[in-house]
Amino acid sequence: MGRLLSCGIVEDPLDALEERITKLRAQVREAKAAGDHARVKLFRAQLADAERAWNAALEEAPAPPPSPPLLPLREQVHQALTLLGVPTPSRLIVSVNEAFFAGHLSSSQLTSLRRDEERSFRTTPYSRPYYLCAALTADLLAPARGLLAVSTWPLATRIVGPLSSRTDFLTAAIRIAEHIARLEAPGESAYRLLTRMAQNIPGAVDDFDQAVPARVIAAAEAELALHREADQTQRAEAAARATKQLDAVGQFFGAGLKSAARTA
Amino acid sequence: MSIMTAYAQAEAVRAGRAQPIASVRHAHLSTRPLVFIPLKMAGEAAAPLGAMVGTHRDDPHLLVVPQPRDRSLRFAFVTELAEVMVPYIESFQRASETVGTREPYERFLDAPQILVPNRGGIGFTRLLGRSSRFRSADGPYPVHPSVPVLGRWLTFLAERTEFAGASTLLAMTELLALHWATGQSGTEDGALAALLAWIAPPEGMTALEAAARAENPLLTPPAGPATDPGFDAGVLQPGIEAYDSTGSPAQVRGAIKSQLEPTWQLMWEAVDVLRGLPEGASVADRWARDRDDFSRYTAHLATGGAPQPRLDSAVAAAMRLERLEDAQARYDAQRAFDDPLVLAEYRLTGTTFAGRVIAADPTRIVTGRRRVLRPLITVQTSDPVRLAPGQVLRSPARPGQKAEITELAAGRIVLELSGGMGNSLTPRPGSVPEIGEWLTYTDLEVPSPRKRPPFPSRENTPWTHGGPPPEYIPTDEDAQEAWS
Amino acid sequence: MSRLDTLRGPVPPHDHNARTIAALAANPGCNRRAVMDAAGIDKEKTARHLGHPATVGQSVFAIIRANAFEEQVKANGCAQLLKLLREKLDLSLPEVSYDDVNNVGDDRGLRHSRTRTLLRQAAEDRGGGTLFDHPVLKLNIAGKSVYLEPALIAFQLKGRFHVVEIKSFAVIDGQADPGQVAAAARQSAVYVHALRELFAERNLDPALVSHDVILVCPENFANTPTATLVDVRQQLTVLKRQLSRLTRIDTILDELPMGLTFDLMHDQDGTPTRSRDELLKAISEVDARYAPECLASCEMAFFCRDEARACGSTDALGRTVRDQLGGLESVATVLGLAHGTLLAAPDQAEIASQLRLVRQFRLEATA
Repeated sequence: MGRLLSCGIVEDPLDALEERITKLRAQVREAKAAGDHARVKLFRAQLADAERAWNAALEEAPAPPPSPPLLPLREQVHQALTLLGVPTPSRLIVSVNEAFFAGHLSSSQLTSLRRDEERSFRTTPYSRPYYLCAALTADLLAPARGLLAVSTWPLATRIVGPLSSRTDFLTAAIRIAEHIARLEAPGESAYRLLTRMAQNIPGAVDDFDQAVPARVIAAAEAELALHREADQTQRAEAAARATKQLDAVGQFFGAGLKSAARTA
Repeated sequence: MSIMTAYAQAEAVRAGRAQPIASVRHAHLSTRPLVFIPLKMAGEAAAPLGAMVGTHRDDPHLLVVPQPRDRSLRFAFVTELAEVMVPYIESFQRASETVGTREPYERFLDAPQILVPNRGGIGFTRLLGRSSRFRSADGPYPVHPSVPVLGRWLTFLAERTEFAGASTLLAMTELLALHWATGQSGTEDGALAALLAWIAPPEGMTALEAAARAENPLLTPPAGPATDPGFDAGVLQPGIEAYDSTGSPAQVRGAIKSQLEPTWQLMWEAVDVLRGLPEGASVADRWARDRDDFSRYTAHLATGGAPQPRLDSAVAAAMRLERLEDAQARYDAQRAFDDPLVLAEYRLTGTTFAGRVIAADPTRIVTGRRRVLRPLITVQTSDPVRLAPGQVLRSPARPGQKAEITELAAGRIVLELSGGMGNSLTPRPGSVPEIGEWLTYTDLEVPSPRKRPPFPSRENTPWTHGGPPPEYIPTDEDAQEAWS
Repeated sequence: MSRLDTLRGPVPPHDHNARTIAALAANPGCNRRAVMDAAGIDKEKTARHLGHPATVGQSVFAIIRANAFEEQVKANGCAQLLKLLREKLDLSLPEVSYDDVNNVGDDRGLRHSRTRTLLRQAAEDRGGGTLFDHPVLKLNIAGKSVYLEPALIAFQLKGRFHVVEIKSFAVIDGQADPGQVAAAARQSAVYVHALRELFAERNLDPALVSHDVILVCPENFANTPTATLVDVRQQLTVLKRQLSRLTRIDTILDELPMGLTFDLMHDQDGTPTRSRDELLKAISEVDARYAPECLASCEMAFFCRDEARACGSTDALGRTVRDQLGGLESVATVLGLAHGTLLAAPDQAEIASQLRLVRQFRLEATA
């Protein structure tokens, strides 16, 4: 996937380069017509240089990205999850981290995170202020595939029912929109993330436009209103069950230790 | 597929060598064709991976996209391709002639001809045209100004291939299969190397040996646009990874070159093979139509015309269909008139027959309102004729002369001739077949220059066809369409 | 030991998947393929040992791209897919329920029973369950259970279940490559069939599973998905006929010599030790029905083609050619009848006279 070209940058060098490219093209043609292979070669090489320069000028990033924060991996993930406030698939964590915290995580880095956290909790329970834990499925109270949550959240938030993947997606969109609205100068990538999400929410954005936070919030809230009650009932019911049936490890990392070790 | 070709295939199996199914070349072959061999990334619609392109067999341009998923590199590829192709196309826009009597117009003396290895090459050309013709040199996602120009030309060329007999863009496998039948199936014939193996096997090899060699992707890389999966995994992927980590395209370049070079050689060998065939008599007429269309589209571009729309409007689609049918009828008839091997197919269906003249009355005069020359000849044939009196026929030997069947019985056919004999009441010498002459007559007729049915104008598109379509104006949305 | 086990030899049967099952329908007339598939014989290894390795295969790039696209469409509780279904199929806004069968772990048996439970709940209680991700279906192939892991979603719309197939080939200006659409339809038909079997087994109406499959592909040159309904009734018919053929495989087996085996006789390192000639002789006991289409779908194709060519079969030239030649089986017969050196049987009279004309006309035209 290509980088988006930013527009409105340095007009003059581009103009000059384009002029040079046109001129070189003509020279290549002339030399070719004259059968002068050496000159053809020379002009072609110059042409290639000019075009490379043209491409480079076009692609020139407006400013180097701020240097990545030196936070440890788990804290970067925690930061993203705190912003979102709902169980989240690792890919979205990576996007949020990139859009708001200038991080460069990769999904594969998150694969072993949950297992490490579980091991730590088992050896010295509650020794950390929070653990990155699993979200539990409402029916089986088993860890849900690919989702990460934070241990300090209420149990009902950490449980996902059939409707939760949608409600959590909508909530995440709202949280992201709110965060953008709070920021003084939200970056391009933050808007891109919001726009991508908004495109899948009815009435949140028009085809090719950039998403507007207030409108995304309104649209997401509208759809959320349709699902919220049923979703919360299912989650609350399951949370009550989990409290009764599971010990602390189970509540954080799910019933069935085998599967917890396997999940990512 | 006809039984004639099927039989020729059976003969090819026995002979161990392709058999001719044409005695002349039925397509124009430029003195300066541009050979274009594109490769694409597997799993992507039209992500170019590389190409070999050029007009001289010893001077191919190699184009390579070291990271095919990078959008800017893709457009760099199109830009580079434009640098070769657009000047080639424009080189035919210099000299023209004035043609047409009632409405004279300018027509270029020659037109571009692009040769790709196979049908897939045409499909790729179409998609590459589709993905670049709407692009814009300014706006949010600017491309080099040559990109949309090339896109329009590629689209023009690809659309032209739908017309029977058009020769501005040709797939080599189809061109060869039009002239030779091999001892393998159409599936295998779709691979240039395997097809050429039957037509012109390398010295010291049988066709079957050569075809087997052609099917081994290690010895003969596929002619594209798809690459060999083994190559993708074993050579290309490491090359792309090397580019990603070092920024050097050398490894990918070498890999792509290795896949393209053998096909490049084959393409020029195929050109040589085709040059060995004499050109059919009506090829020039069809090439003139290609030149017509090329001239028209040049004018369209010169006046700032819009790129081809994504979908035809109702009227445009109907007109196009009519032109396609006209081209097909012309092509079928002309080919049969040009080539006895093609005409032979029609003898099987009984609409064409061959025989010897056994009687002739070359000076017969018929008196109606005025006296006219109407010679009679009787042709004896053993062909299974399925024609009826009143039917008007023509013979490739005298295409300007009509021959109407007046009697038909037991292999003897009496024909009344008109036209092509001069203006007096005595026929020009040689214009009436003589006794003993061997002739073929057919009901095929080359359509007279097109009389277009009255299509409604764009503004008068009937409501049943959606009413007048909005004028097509390319939008920013078209120009910005993601190519990811 | 069953006859099929004898045929295969002492190795575990080769697993089927939707692609191989769909390929069964590609050439239903081929006994060789039917027997080898029913016995779960590794055709790729067999062909290799016979000296005719297959070239059927997919590029790594195509696989990577397919996985990435699927992941994208399903991301965030199938957010993109929901948008599509809402826009194209009028899925109502409250219907967003999403169940991931993978939550029970990797075991296929477990996932299959989970799939059954979820689908039954959804079918019995019309309110619940819209999207079911990573379901595992089961199909009986020649008396053997085969798990199918569709990378797809069973989707309930207005009380009917639909198979959703996510493919990464592009739909450009409303058009896609017909070959790829056909392949997707054949594969989806396998899922529809398996899903219907599952319903029937649970005493649910199989008609609850729609014969319209939802095909999701990228649109134009971007990664934005688009959805199209594809009717797979025709593919289902072919598939069912082929599957029933497989269950009646005994009729083919009955005609084979007792003790016939295609065993490659692997040594400890897994290297085949069976004599090539012996294997060739054994394979030749079962008739193939070669057609050039096999080249794209069957690992044995090069071997069978060689065999067809060796006996001068017109099959090697393709079905249209063979039809044009009046269905005559061998090139020798075609040429013999054309030259008049062979006497035409009564049912060959018409094609024989045609062929004589063809030969005569060709000779006259090239004279």
